[in-house]
Amino acid sequence: MKAAKPALMLALAALSTPRLLAQIQNQPDDGQWTMAAKNYASTRYSTLGQIHTGNASQLKLAWSFSTGTTRGIEAAPLVVNGTMYIVTPYPNVLYALDLARPGAPVKWKYEPHPQPASQGVACCDVVNRGAAYADGKIYFNTLDAQTVAVDANTGREVWKAQLGDIHQGESMTMAPVVAGGVVLVGNSGGEFGVRGWMAGLDAGTGKLLWRAYSTGPDQDVRIGPAFQPFYADHRGKDLGVNTWQGEQWKIGGGSAWGWISYDAELDLFYYGTSNPSPWNPDQRPGDNKWTCTLFARRPRTAEAVWAYQISPHDGHDYDAVNENILLDLTLNGRPRKVLAHPDRNGYVYLIDRATGEVLSANPFVFVNNSQGIDLKTGRLKLVDAKKTGTKTVRDICPAPPGGKDWQPSSFSPQTGWLYIPRNNLCYEMQGTQANYIAGTPYLGAMARMYPGPGGSRGGVSAWDPVAGKAVWKVEEDFPVWSGTAVTAGNVLFYGAMDGWFKALDARTGALLWRFKTGSGIVGQPVIYKGPDGKEYVAILSGVGGWAGAVVSGGLNTVDGTGALGFLNAMAGLPEHTAKGGTLYVFSLP
Amino acid sequence: MSRRRTLPAISALLLSACAGPQQSSLNSAGPQAGHTESLWWVFLGILSLIFIAVLGVMLAALARRHPEFEPASPERTATAADRTGRRLTRAVAAATIATVAILFFLLVASVSTGKTIAGLASPSSSLTIEVTGNQWWWYVRYLDDNPQRIAVTANEIHIPVGRPVQIRGTSQDVIHSFWVPGLNGKRDLIPSHITTEWIQADRPGRLRGQCAEFCGLQHARMALWVVAEPESQFEAWLDRQRQPAVPPSDADTQAGYQVFMSHACVLCHNIAGTPAQGQVAPDLTHLAGRMTIAAGTLPNNKGTLGGWILDPQSVKPGNHMATISLKPGELQPLLDYLGSLQ
Amino acid sequence: MCSRCRDGIAGIAILLAASFGCQREQRNLRPEPTGQAMFTPLKGSNPSSGIAYEISEGQRLYTWYNCSGCHANGGGGIGPPLIKTSWIYGGEPAKLFESIAKGRPNGMPAWGDRIPEYQIWQIVAYVRSLNQQEPSSATPKRLDTIETNPQTIRAARARTGK
Repeated sequence: MKAAKPALMLALAALSTPRLLAQIQNQPDDGQWTMAAKNYASTRYSTLGQIHTGNASQLKLAWSFSTGTTRGIEAAPLVVNGTMYIVTPYPNVLYALDLARPGAPVKWKYEPHPQPASQGVACCDVVNRGAAYADGKIYFNTLDAQTVAVDANTGREVWKAQLGDIHQGESMTMAPVVAGGVVLVGNSGGEFGVRGWMAGLDAGTGKLLWRAYSTGPDQDVRIGPAFQPFYADHRGKDLGVNTWQGEQWKIGGGSAWGWISYDAELDLFYYGTSNPSPWNPDQRPGDNKWTCTLFARRPRTAEAVWAYQISPHDGHDYDAVNENILLDLTLNGRPRKVLAHPDRNGYVYLIDRATGEVLSANPFVFVNNSQGIDLKTGRLKLVDAKKTGTKTVRDICPAPPGGKDWQPSSFSPQTGWLYIPRNNLCYEMQGTQANYIAGTPYLGAMARMYPGPGGSRGGVSAWDPVAGKAVWKVEEDFPVWSGTAVTAGNVLFYGAMDGWFKALDARTGALLWRFKTGSGIVGQPVIYKGPDGKEYVAILSGVGGWAGAVVSGGLNTVDGTGALGFLNAMAGLPEHTAKGGTLYVFSLP
Repeated sequence: MSRRRTLPAISALLLSACAGPQQSSLNSAGPQAGHTESLWWVFLGILSLIFIAVLGVMLAALARRHPEFEPASPERTATAADRTGRRLTRAVAAATIATVAILFFLLVASVSTGKTIAGLASPSSSLTIEVTGNQWWWYVRYLDDNPQRIAVTANEIHIPVGRPVQIRGTSQDVIHSFWVPGLNGKRDLIPSHITTEWIQADRPGRLRGQCAEFCGLQHARMALWVVAEPESQFEAWLDRQRQPAVPPSDADTQAGYQVFMSHACVLCHNIAGTPAQGQVAPDLTHLAGRMTIAAGTLPNNKGTLGGWILDPQSVKPGNHMATISLKPGELQPLLDYLGSLQ
Repeated sequence: MCSRCRDGIAGIAILLAASFGCQREQRNLRPEPTGQAMFTPLKGSNPSSGIAYEISEGQRLYTWYNCSGCHANGGGGIGPPLIKTSWIYGGEPAKLFESIAKGRPNGMPAWGDRIPEYQIWQIVAYVRSLNQQEPSSATPKRLDTIETNPQTIRAARARTGK
């Protein structure tokens, strides 16, 4: 999809006006960070401008805080009403730090005591991606599939809901989103043969309002008269059953462990579902709907308004759970309400968020197992030679973590660009027979990943969504497993897996400042205004997650198939970082 | 029986006694095996004649009287030697030409039979069955473009009479070989490869096949049954295979269901519609409808099934079914439950 | 030496050589039916140790029962590695048996009420063989998957400089 030059200029001009700022940010920006994605549009953009490209080089460590954990920290700290809230990896302790007092001492801590056995059903380290604040309460999930609401002032538990069963392989790692009084949460477990779902809980009482499954009959998937998918092969009765062999949809995956965006005007929330189970596609013939699918639903009733399956009959673990950044762009001369979705399969999708029509899909990493999207049918065009199954296929790009895994991008209305933290990995896979035993992995594959073309294993790209290509790129030795966050001062923050926390010029990619933290960074940076009026940047450092499992899990690199194939690519990580678990907060002197 | 048919019939009977008429290349049920069988008779006929002729010539040569040795005039000996030499040369030449001609004829017959059989492969198939060899059982999956019409079973294949069927073979572990003599020749099942073979049954009946490539301890007890039945019966059978398992209906089968779900059975076996979804062992969803158990080793009835569950290693030593221990009173309900899985 | 003596000595030598494999080549296909493996027997050593057939059965069960799903081929992933020198709960056969049969608190499921005892011993023997604790003549060959594609090794080493 190539935009004409005048349209591009127009788009850039349109994007840089304050009017559009209001359009794309559904909440007023007061220097707080009340949900992991910053706002319902998921831009992770802060309007604070005290730190800018001119003075970022002077950033200094203001204070730090040790979480007491040593597993991967993927969370985004929240800042609300002068208090910072941090959720740690298992055992999922919630800390409230008082930002008004020097050194930000602990105000209270809440310990949910999740079941220790839940650590055995976490595919990719025992991480937690953060909490959400609404209506005086902090909402977060525990590894053993419970959602908790805690009073933001006192730390007292308000309610707790058990939503999943770890003995069936279910867990929860995602950051909730509260929209319209409904707490939206989803399960994890696409590697364990779970049946994926998204649930809506009443924010005040914790009562389960609805559960929308990702597979099964239309009634369970909440597909009804309101469902108007854009593409013909998405229409039909009970596709969540008919695109599976036998009863395999019951252990078919499609968990909703990723990011949620919400458009209050359209009253739609958007999220993606995970890969189908097992990894070996030969065991589950059919399109396997609705795995690897983007859904648009109404928050109060969960009824699906549209859906688009990004990777039908997926054979590479390309979960569709990545962030959907809501943008109002002018494409081909027309203003469109879109969502930008950089997917695991290596493409940045621009999708009309009202109808589900794919407007463009351009690769942001090297891709050799597909050749773009057929925009008429919406289907991914797969390369036959790279289709996996009960055989060995080599040199497949991108690897299962994809062009980008869960690590979220950010969007700056100043530049009009997305800032995508990416991987550069290829892999080989040997499909084997997957045996289903409830509560254990249901995979049927041995994989080994290695660096992609060029040799670096990741980097950050500034991506022009209208032009459909990268504006600048920065390469990193390891995959960039942290999120990015960008400010009105045109400073882009992200962390590297070797521990360096970096600030780049959002316009050029030039390195403005960096700081070596104690451990590799796989968390999400946040920018906030402290009670003293100063701008602060906070990041949790503690290597882990799927990419860092070699360190956080103490794995043995003699076996390249470990960590679902990541061990082969990350053998050198232990020389660069050890385990950690510390919060770092920076500001100007 | 007419005299023309007597000899072949007797030979067929004698030969087929080895494996029973159900597993005999001389009891072909379809076109592919039919061509092979005809070729076999051609070879048998011609080679028998040659055998008899060669035996005859040898006996004649042994029976010939040699004249006593007596000195003869040089001219007479030379003439006699020349005459004999010329006769011998002519005889050897004639025999050689005859041999080459017969061999060439047999070559042409073989090649043309092979080509004919290959030509029986349809360009498109209305029925494709995926057969995966495991140690020491057969995984069978009926393919279909519509995934909800795919059916999975084990060790027993049903095919409709008169329709060509494509067998897509592969293996889960070592090289096996799919061989149903009444239908077609052997086709190796090779891990990570797909080999195909076409079969067709022209009359209803039951045919036995077995693994034809040594594959381990129980290679000898890896048999498979092919049931050819009229189209309507076949469709009814296939439709039943697509359904999930019959739920337990009374207290007895309920108890048996609980026994199954609480033991190691669920780690390996699949019963569609229940929590047992293991993939590494034969699918049991419609076990009660099958003729045999343990890949043709035992007929399928309560007695044999009970013995198999209690002590599989004495029936088929070395096979991969675990020896589990059941408490007294658990076996009967379990057998009743499995017996209800039509 | 007389030819008969030589034949005799050769015969004895062959018999001796053949007998060295006796221990390794035992196959007890019909284990004694035992009660479900709820408790660690701690009676002597692993009955499957040193027997090639038992260890290769352990290799098969390691994949069938999804040990490889969490522990990969010894490198670990969801669960800790099984090729290592310092074991969280002990690496002796009895301790490994206990880990498998009773489970462990931080995510190892308890298998003792399903997997028969003799099979747990086979898996224990296989895990020990991964760590070279079983005679190499009885240890099965490593799966092809552990042998990395040379191109992969080269690419990974080029990246990490080792």
